[in-house]
Amino acid sequence: MRSAVSVILSSPVPDNKMSHPDYEQTAHDHAALLLLLKPIGTQIKQKTVARLCERIIKSGSRFNVYDSTVGAREILARFVREHPVENNDWGEFQTHRRLLGLITFGKYDTQTELNELCRLHETLKVKYGATLYDSRAILLGPVESTNLNEPPKSFSTPSNFKTRAVFYADESCPDLEAQIAECLNSLFWILESKRLERSREKIDRVSLLLAPFEKKDFIGLDLESRNNKKRCCGRITKHLGDLCLQAGLPGDALSHYNSAASILQAVNDWLWLGAAYEGLCTASALVLYPNMCRSLPLQRNSSLQEGSPGKQRRGSQAVTLPTPPTIDVLKASMPHILPPEEISKKYREAIIHYSKYQNAGIIETEASFKATRISIEQNCTLQATSFLNNVLFINLTLSEQEKIDRFTTLSELFTSFGFARKASFCLRLAATRHVSQNNPNPDWQQCYNLMLQVTSGFKLSLDPVEMPSDGQRGWPAIQIQVINELVAAANRMGNPALATRHMTFLLQTMFNHLTPQERKDITLQLQAVSQQCEGAPVPLVLDSGTVIPPANLTNIPKTKSFTLKNLQPHLQPQKVERIKEDHGPFLFTPINFGSLERKNTSKSKMDYLWVEGDICEVSMQLINPLPFELHVSNMRLLTNGIVFESIPETITLPAESGPIAVTLAGTPKEVGDLEILGFSTHTLGVKSNCRLRYMENMPHPQYSVEVVPALPRIDVATSLPQTASFSSGDNIVTSASVTLYGGESSECTITITNVGQVPIEMIEISVQSTLDAPTESKIFNWSDENLKTQLPLQPGASASLTLYLYAVVDFLAPTSRNEISSSAYLSQPSSIMSHSGPSSLPSRLSSPSHHTKRQSELTSSFRSGLSSHSGHSSLASTRLSKLAVPLHASNIIEGQLKIKYSGDAGLAAGYCRISSVFVTIEMLPSVQITSWDVLPAETPAQFYLVLDVTNMTNHEMELHYTQTKCIYMEGREPCRIPVPVDRCPLNKLSVLNEGGDSAELERICAEHIASLVDLRWQLLGIESSGKATLSGLTLTQDMLDLVRMSPLQWEITINDIAVKAQDELTCGLGECVSVGVGVCNALEHSLSDLILSINFYQDHQNGVNNYRLDTRLSIAGANKVMLPTLQEYGRAYHECRVVFFTAGQYKIDIQCSSRESTPTALAICSELINAGHTWRYIPPLEITVGEC
Amino acid sequence: MILIYYYMMAVCVAVIGKDNSPKYIKCLDENTALQFHYKVHTTIDIIEEKLNVGNKTASDVRELFLGLLFSAEDHKIFGYATNTKIKFVVILQSTNTLLRDNEVRTIFKKLHAAYANAVCNPFYVPGDQIKSKLFDLAVMEIMGII
Repeated sequence: MRSAVSVILSSPVPDNKMSHPDYEQTAHDHAALLLLLKPIGTQIKQKTVARLCERIIKSGSRFNVYDSTVGAREILARFVREHPVENNDWGEFQTHRRLLGLITFGKYDTQTELNELCRLHETLKVKYGATLYDSRAILLGPVESTNLNEPPKSFSTPSNFKTRAVFYADESCPDLEAQIAECLNSLFWILESKRLERSREKIDRVSLLLAPFEKKDFIGLDLESRNNKKRCCGRITKHLGDLCLQAGLPGDALSHYNSAASILQAVNDWLWLGAAYEGLCTASALVLYPNMCRSLPLQRNSSLQEGSPGKQRRGSQAVTLPTPPTIDVLKASMPHILPPEEISKKYREAIIHYSKYQNAGIIETEASFKATRISIEQNCTLQATSFLNNVLFINLTLSEQEKIDRFTTLSELFTSFGFARKASFCLRLAATRHVSQNNPNPDWQQCYNLMLQVTSGFKLSLDPVEMPSDGQRGWPAIQIQVINELVAAANRMGNPALATRHMTFLLQTMFNHLTPQERKDITLQLQAVSQQCEGAPVPLVLDSGTVIPPANLTNIPKTKSFTLKNLQPHLQPQKVERIKEDHGPFLFTPINFGSLERKNTSKSKMDYLWVEGDICEVSMQLINPLPFELHVSNMRLLTNGIVFESIPETITLPAESGPIAVTLAGTPKEVGDLEILGFSTHTLGVKSNCRLRYMENMPHPQYSVEVVPALPRIDVATSLPQTASFSSGDNIVTSASVTLYGGESSECTITITNVGQVPIEMIEISVQSTLDAPTESKIFNWSDENLKTQLPLQPGASASLTLYLYAVVDFLAPTSRNEISSSAYLSQPSSIMSHSGPSSLPSRLSSPSHHTKRQSELTSSFRSGLSSHSGHSSLASTRLSKLAVPLHASNIIEGQLKIKYSGDAGLAAGYCRISSVFVTIEMLPSVQITSWDVLPAETPAQFYLVLDVTNMTNHEMELHYTQTKCIYMEGREPCRIPVPVDRCPLNKLSVLNEGGDSAELERICAEHIASLVDLRWQLLGIESSGKATLSGLTLTQDMLDLVRMSPLQWEITINDIAVKAQDELTCGLGECVSVGVGVCNALEHSLSDLILSINFYQDHQNGVNNYRLDTRLSIAGANKVMLPTLQEYGRAYHECRVVFFTAGQYKIDIQCSSRESTPTALAICSELINAGHTWRYIPPLEITVGEC
Repeated sequence: MILIYYYMMAVCVAVIGKDNSPKYIKCLDENTALQFHYKVHTTIDIIEEKLNVGNKTASDVRELFLGLLFSAEDHKIFGYATNTKIKFVVILQSTNTLLRDNEVRTIFKKLHAAYANAVCNPFYVPGDQIKSKLFDLAVMEIMGII
């Protein structure tokens, strides 16, 4: 569009050029009457003026005038608040630039003030006198005047005041609109008369109309030439068109413009040809787009502003506007009207013609803006863009302020059709103009304000939260520059707070786009700036009302992880009593309601508890991305909900250091839900609130944890040495270890000190181990009552508890006796004596090799005191051995003494804490019973328990096995001891009813033995003593017979004299001895099918019993009798006689056996027990037959 | 071809994603890069406008070349948009007045091919910055650096 001719055609005439561009003009302004609204004097308030102006603009911008010939004419008026008088000079070129009317506002209280107002008004009239048609003065006085146009009574206007004034007493100015309408009417009619006057002029007699800068060009030209005549004619035609347009006759105007264009084209009068084209365009636009003009009610604040006349936009069109007529209809009445697409084309031509004159730059600029507005109206944004682009190329010598206005207007127009980027670009240029070197009075404040508006176009939101962390929004390079400019502007306008804020924002949001060097530089700058004003995470409110949201440095240092820590195990609150909630019969439901959502929420809610008044911690990992040491101070947790006292933390991160662990701690001061939102930092002079919500790679936006009431804390100490190493389990605070020989006891004093702030009101002690309950209770013992008496425990006080430890070991070596006993039980052996006599003992005594085998068995198998009867089940024993491996494999017993304590509010809320003492008892074997048997004693009330005892220690041992008897054993020495034991009385067995089985019987007997046998050992070397128990003995049926009292009570008489077992009996050869046997059933049920037999034999004392005594004695009477039944407590008696033929020692075996039952017989259980059983009189009677 | 590039030296080549953020931008002179950033950035408005026009005919839809977007005193800015709304912007020096549409189209076709090759890389995540040596080479060829 630019052409080099412009330089040739117009010589620079700077004083004549229009130096006050009006960027706000629209095409419709060509048709408007220009009025100046001006407050005068100092009294009147800005607000009043603004309100009055608004009313005037609202009522007067568009009005109708009725003319007898044409009918209604729509006249437009344009009200401005400033009008440079130089612009009037262009009034000949385009008549709408002339100021036609003047309305002043003034307020007076005294006559002098009124006089001054009148003088000012007249001065203005003189100033614009060349073009002014009419004027009004609106004067607000103290008193009402009777006639509006006359001053109030006590006032008078000076004689030289010739203006029609309107006097009001108050600011409401009731009929202001009517007054203005009257004024506008008068203006119109003057204009109309001028138009008519012009139109009646003879074309060939008119003088040449000139644009201001042309005056010099035409000096000396031949005014009478034909060419010039045509030029005059064309120009006046164009001028007429202008007047017609203003007078509301667009049709006439169009035809005038059209003919003017053709005339002017012929004479190459480019400037005026451009004006004619522009006239065509504006007139067409006026007709086609009647709603584009500015006559509409506007918002109060944006209506009129000082320095920007008529700042009004299309766009606020009311709904009631008339719809624009179609082009076809209009074409009929106005043949010269341009169709829409022609308008911009013609405008373009006009602009090209203007561009040929350097002095018409402002006209060209204004035309471009007007053309743009039409294009916007037509929705041709690309067209509009090209017009606006042209504006930038127009070379004008403008003041900086005008340049700023130009860019601002450009920006506004770009914005209006959505070209936000271009708008921002222009606005940024405007901002830089405010502070350019050429600007005599740089205004950093303005620059900053404009820069702020620029940000949106570059997709830069000043709230870091809205900036995506990956930076894929907008253009980082540009954004960085804009922020830098903001920082600079903020600095220069003396607002370090803003500079700090923007610098922080830059670092925070653009960090990924900065080079390492830039990062370093900016960081150092920030440090410098923040020394003047520290950055804080609060919104900054500017004077203009703009809020700069806080910027937080979450990248410096970068947080890699953020996790809440549970309390230490022994400080974790536990529910005192876990009441099992009834979840119905189903433990698991496959139905997951809104699975994703639920998972998220549940995770951020911690499943553990924090305690009021206790230090709770959050661990974090920080990364310093900067190439220098970073000092981060005052790190605290940000919380929500209950009161939380955070402990400030300060750390220094080395340059570019990897994840460094930091722990932030604090104390909850209330009970309830605590939300952890993030943490705050103070680094590089900026305080930041780093919220998890806005940080990258954080799984949860916040964490919440429940805080329970304060609980006491204890310190636990034991009197025993600590374990070197113990398996760390739950809430273990200390440990105790002791070594005990089997059967030995020890004490351990546990001191509990309350180190918290809350008294302890409840302590519960319990032991946890892998042992079964009975064994556990044997090993660990304490007195709860003693402890209870020491409660409550005030803070600082301590209590002690004695824990009694006892080494429980199995003193019985496992042997193969199980098989013996089971076989003995299942099949009644036919050889009667083989298991009961002393001769049977050696077979079960241990040989040394057997002994070691047992030792190894000891480590791998386990027999509880109750389980010996299950020996026939190998499955059971293997299972048991598996279960009990820890006990015997290492001989080390580990137990945890759990101290459950609580107090005060915590107790009321149902929480407690558990501290555990880890107790290790190493159990060394002391004595071991490798085998045992029973032997009949000298009295039927007792029997001998024969034990093979081995001293398992390396020390000399003293073993007391009865009240009076003791034995010394060397280390590792085996020894056999007989222990006299009372036989198990029948009343103990009476619990055995008919349903009882032999296993039960064995158990009772074993317990009986265990309770009576008291083996006390004492190690002489190391002064320790203990007690061995015999629980868990297994007994065969034959043993049982010895152990328990016989159910049959024997009454033996020899020669009618009752004898006892140990009695020495003698008789002579050939003497007839009468042996009477009485049997009493001591059982509570009757026995049947008993065979009572009396047998004689000789014991050769070498394991051989000779029963074949036919030659040595003779028996008179039956030595065998059948007893069909023996009632309970019933008695049977049998007697026979015997004669001994040879001398010697004879023994009488008296026994009573029940008949063997066949397996096929349907015998009830109790019969089965008694069936096939033999009861023997023990010990056998001994008769010495002497030779007479 | 090389001759053409020599005469039509591109001073700036940019690839703009469909979210209008830069995916690749290379300028002949890195010192004035920011100026070109601004130029390319402001042309997005025009590209968007051109792409938004609803009354495009079927043949227009297939036309990827957007033509001259902006003409400054020293530069001419041309645009091209793929069907996936990836935009290519090339700034040519307007000292050479013999610019023909066809030649500019050739540049864009070459650029489009290079772009297609670059994003065919299975390791390229759509929407990321383009970091490809081959693409660099293609761009440098267009700019006449090599």
